[in-house]
Amino acid sequence: MNFLSAVAVLKTATIVPELIVILTLVVVLIVDLVSGRSNRSLPTLTNLGLTAALGAIVWQWLHPQTSTLAFLGTFDSDRLSLVFRGIIAFSALLTSLISERYLLQAGVALGEYLVILLTATVGGMFLAGANEMVTIFVSLETLSIASYLLSGYTKRDPRSNEAALKYLLIGASSSAIFLYGMSLLYGLSAGETNLLRIAAAIRHPELAVVLAMVFIVAGIAFKLSAVPFHQWTPDVYEGSPTPVVAFLSVGSKAAGFALAVRFLVTVFHTIEPEWHYVFVILTILSMVLGNVVAIAQTSMKRMLAYSSIGQAGFVMLAMIVDTEAGYASMIFYLLVYLFMNMGAFACVILFALRTGTDQISAYSGLYQKDPLLTLCLSICLLSLGGIPPLAGFFGKLYIFWAGWQAGAYGLVILGLVMSVVSIYYYIRVVKQMVVKEPQEMSEAVMRYPQISWVEPGMRPLQVAMVSTLVITSIAGIAANPLFGIVNDAVTGSRFLQASVSPPVIVQSLP
Amino acid sequence: MKLSQGVELVSLLVLTAMVVAAAMGVVLSPSIVYAAFLLGLVFLGIAGMYLLLNADFVAAAQVLIYVGAVNVLILFAIMLVNRRKVYREVKLGAVRQLVAIAVCVSLFALLLYTNLNTVWLLTPEVTALPSGIVTLGQHFFNEYLLPFELASVLLLVALIGAIILARREFVPDRGEENLELVERPKELVAVKEE
Repeated sequence: MNFLSAVAVLKTATIVPELIVILTLVVVLIVDLVSGRSNRSLPTLTNLGLTAALGAIVWQWLHPQTSTLAFLGTFDSDRLSLVFRGIIAFSALLTSLISERYLLQAGVALGEYLVILLTATVGGMFLAGANEMVTIFVSLETLSIASYLLSGYTKRDPRSNEAALKYLLIGASSSAIFLYGMSLLYGLSAGETNLLRIAAAIRHPELAVVLAMVFIVAGIAFKLSAVPFHQWTPDVYEGSPTPVVAFLSVGSKAAGFALAVRFLVTVFHTIEPEWHYVFVILTILSMVLGNVVAIAQTSMKRMLAYSSIGQAGFVMLAMIVDTEAGYASMIFYLLVYLFMNMGAFACVILFALRTGTDQISAYSGLYQKDPLLTLCLSICLLSLGGIPPLAGFFGKLYIFWAGWQAGAYGLVILGLVMSVVSIYYYIRVVKQMVVKEPQEMSEAVMRYPQISWVEPGMRPLQVAMVSTLVITSIAGIAANPLFGIVNDAVTGSRFLQASVSPPVIVQSLP
Repeated sequence: MKLSQGVELVSLLVLTAMVVAAAMGVVLSPSIVYAAFLLGLVFLGIAGMYLLLNADFVAAAQVLIYVGAVNVLILFAIMLVNRRKVYREVKLGAVRQLVAIAVCVSLFALLLYTNLNTVWLLTPEVTALPSGIVTLGQHFFNEYLLPFELASVLLLVALIGAIILARREFVPDRGEENLELVERPKELVAVKEE
């Protein structure tokens, strides 16, 4: 078999976006090695590479294939995985934009940071399409190990060391639990690792299947930071460099959701009530604990950590509804969440760069000194809370509508109450910034430096801030293209269609 | 029962006893050096089990990597960080241990019950003795090609990450760099605001 026919059989074209990211990674590494520390072109290279990968994803979206399984059934490049890969690549692009200035000010090397960030992106993107347990595990580990390294990147700061160590230890043990669950599935299906074949081999629900499901949910819930598997989140978010937190809260979480949907829906269709039950508990706990504990926080990063736990609760609510509208609302919310959360983090980074603090009390009176930052942060936080004309409102509305249609009344009412709670703590920050009189201004804002965007790395940060601001403001009103994308993603995915349509469709094996 | 089956059973029992005893030693031994050596024994026992399953290559890799590299590394780390530190007694230590024992025993009971009550689909065929390496290689370049190649990216970044964490940052004209988060720790903020 010659090279070209091998490429045709494996359908290598499906992983072109990932290959572009890997190529960028290698180029960044070599340019950094050859040109030394003074090179300022590395972020630009990274941004170009990620943009090219996004372009490749769009191209694949516009040219759908009839059969999406590639690499002999290992990788599924259906529209669902394309959307998730797009979200992950986009979050990496925004992260790279907001990182440069932060890293320069922290005095750490840029090159290796970008390489590790790109590796995490590759891991997440492969995870979004992986259809086989070995691939799932290797890509999960690629994402996780890169994340541990990123969170410990400012290595002389004890908080960063603590964050990396906690993340590593808890992550390793949850990986082990996940692996144990997968080993049970391997045994139950007589040595299959492909998800579709395992689903075909598991015919009757047994205790061992339920046990495997519980272990696998425990592993995935760690990535989603769903309560009770959330203990690492606040400390890791507080101690990691802020751009890294932005990536963890969006990109890494999106990868976790892609994995959850594909794995649970494909493999555990015989015990669907059981895994729904487990996820209902996780959803309730995450929504309640995330949103209630966020009220008490004094540090912005910690508050965003708890708020991200709560937001994950809303997304899980959409996932367990298990209707076409439910999955569509889940992807829609993740798309919107990408922009509003990234925007909020861009603002928090800018504020930290100019004042050197992330205490919520330090934000008071900011409107007098920096109207643009105040506007951007307010819009993003209000959108996260779900205030009407903004994107987050439509995202939440869609989720609650889908849940109500499917009859999950209790969960929807709880979600509504909890989003009111979340509005309280988001508005508190906005009130601090806008309402306070000049004499109530905080020390940090009083010493606020002259606004300038000329330092290296400030322009990309501004671009990221303004573009997320614009998208967050108009994505809700002009949501039709987004609705089109998410509906196509759900209808274009074979395993989801098999799950949501009641008559049992016999899965044809590759 | 044929002779080969009997031999297999006896060696399995011996290996299991060895692994369980050594693992208990790792957890219970107060001396960290003994614990590290006992961990090596656990790894060897696992390698023996792989041999019983006809996975000779995996057994060899287990000995080379876990005993030869991981365990030696652990011992090096213990040698380098040779601190004699008396740990404080944890509050309610006995209660905590009882709870831990209860959780572990019930988890074990659950797993045991599941194992005994599940109809495992077993494939009776056993690979011919010369070696499983050929089969392994064929799998690597067929359905496991993607994870095999992805592992190279993973190893590359693990290497880079290890170097970053270990190297000393020193730039001649700027002296030691600060390498810290841009946000100040809480205490510093509080002091400045006073």
